[in-house]
Amino acid sequence: MIAGLVQILLFQGLGELISKFVFTTLPGPVIGLVLLLSWLMLRGKLDPSLALVADGFSQYLGLLFVPAAVGVVLFLPQLKEHAGALITALVVSVVLTIATSALILKLMHREPKNDA
Amino acid sequence: MRESASIVEIWVYLSGSPLIALFITLAAYQIGLWLYQRSAQNPLANPVAIAVILVSVAIELLQMPYRTYFEGAQFVHFLLGSATVSLAIPIYRGIQHLQSRALPLIISLVCGGLVSILSAVGIATALGADKTLVGGLYSKSVTAPIAMGIAEQIGISPTLTAVFAVVTGILGAVLARFILDALGMKSWWQRGFAIGVASHGIGASRAFSVSPEAGAYASLGMGMHGILGAIAIPWIFHLINR
Repeated sequence: MIAGLVQILLFQGLGELISKFVFTTLPGPVIGLVLLLSWLMLRGKLDPSLALVADGFSQYLGLLFVPAAVGVVLFLPQLKEHAGALITALVVSVVLTIATSALILKLMHREPKNDA
Repeated sequence: MRESASIVEIWVYLSGSPLIALFITLAAYQIGLWLYQRSAQNPLANPVAIAVILVSVAIELLQMPYRTYFEGAQFVHFLLGSATVSLAIPIYRGIQHLQSRALPLIISLVCGGLVSILSAVGIATALGADKTLVGGLYSKSVTAPIAMGIAEQIGISPTLTAVFAVVTGILGAVLARFILDALGMKSWWQRGFAIGVASHGIGASRAFSVSPEAGAYASLGMGMHGILGAIAIPWIFHLINR
């Protein structure tokens, strides 16, 4: 497990460095993610200690954004004022997004040429 | 007299250490998880949403300012970066599914992602929501840890982004079945991918509970949206907010 954690911290550190000096619009951890993914694809296998750490993180991923999300208490008056607009936007948007992604897959899979 | 003074001293000591904030955060999340399992994993009993409400109430009762709370809870927050990097593993596992379906999946993702941003930002702006709030909508369909990274990068509130992402995840997990049935979607992989693109991890765990194939494709959709979103969203944001 420690070996997995070391690899993840290493790629995270590399990502932060590249984000600071090269691709400044990309968040460091996302660069780290892409580097680790490329490394895994290059090697063609996943070692168990890395899988263990990753599964641990993904199982409790939600916990990690609780501290930032609690900051919502600072926005409550603003959110209340615009609640109608935000709820409408969120509901309509998620319906349209699911419908768009799904319909494109359905159309492209059936008649790839006609619907391109 | 002496007694109450020492209780105050203990309280001052405790509230200055990260212990209380960490305890509240973990305990609230544990209660959230427990309720989620008790409700047979109903997406409306989302553990993050429950934890956020419980922590907000707790710090209000303790009269602890948010800043003080966050200083303690930042040890949990710090792990977000490592968790983001570790998303490479589920994506790596999902990539085996890409194969011949790569092109339709990528086009579906790009169109879904654009519709997600334009519809949310357009509707909220038209209905008069202010700029700060609208900013939080840009990466709401991206998995929260990456969405918050994008938000920090383009100077919008990571808090609003996280909250909108969680709400979007819950809405997607609840509504997806009805939308996909109405559209006559039959293949699990297509249903799963659409859920993952629109409502990231929360949608994906819902998809997993229905079909492993749908779940695998939902994770793939979530992962691809995370990477593409990190590249494209800052650019779209600057284009719209010139």
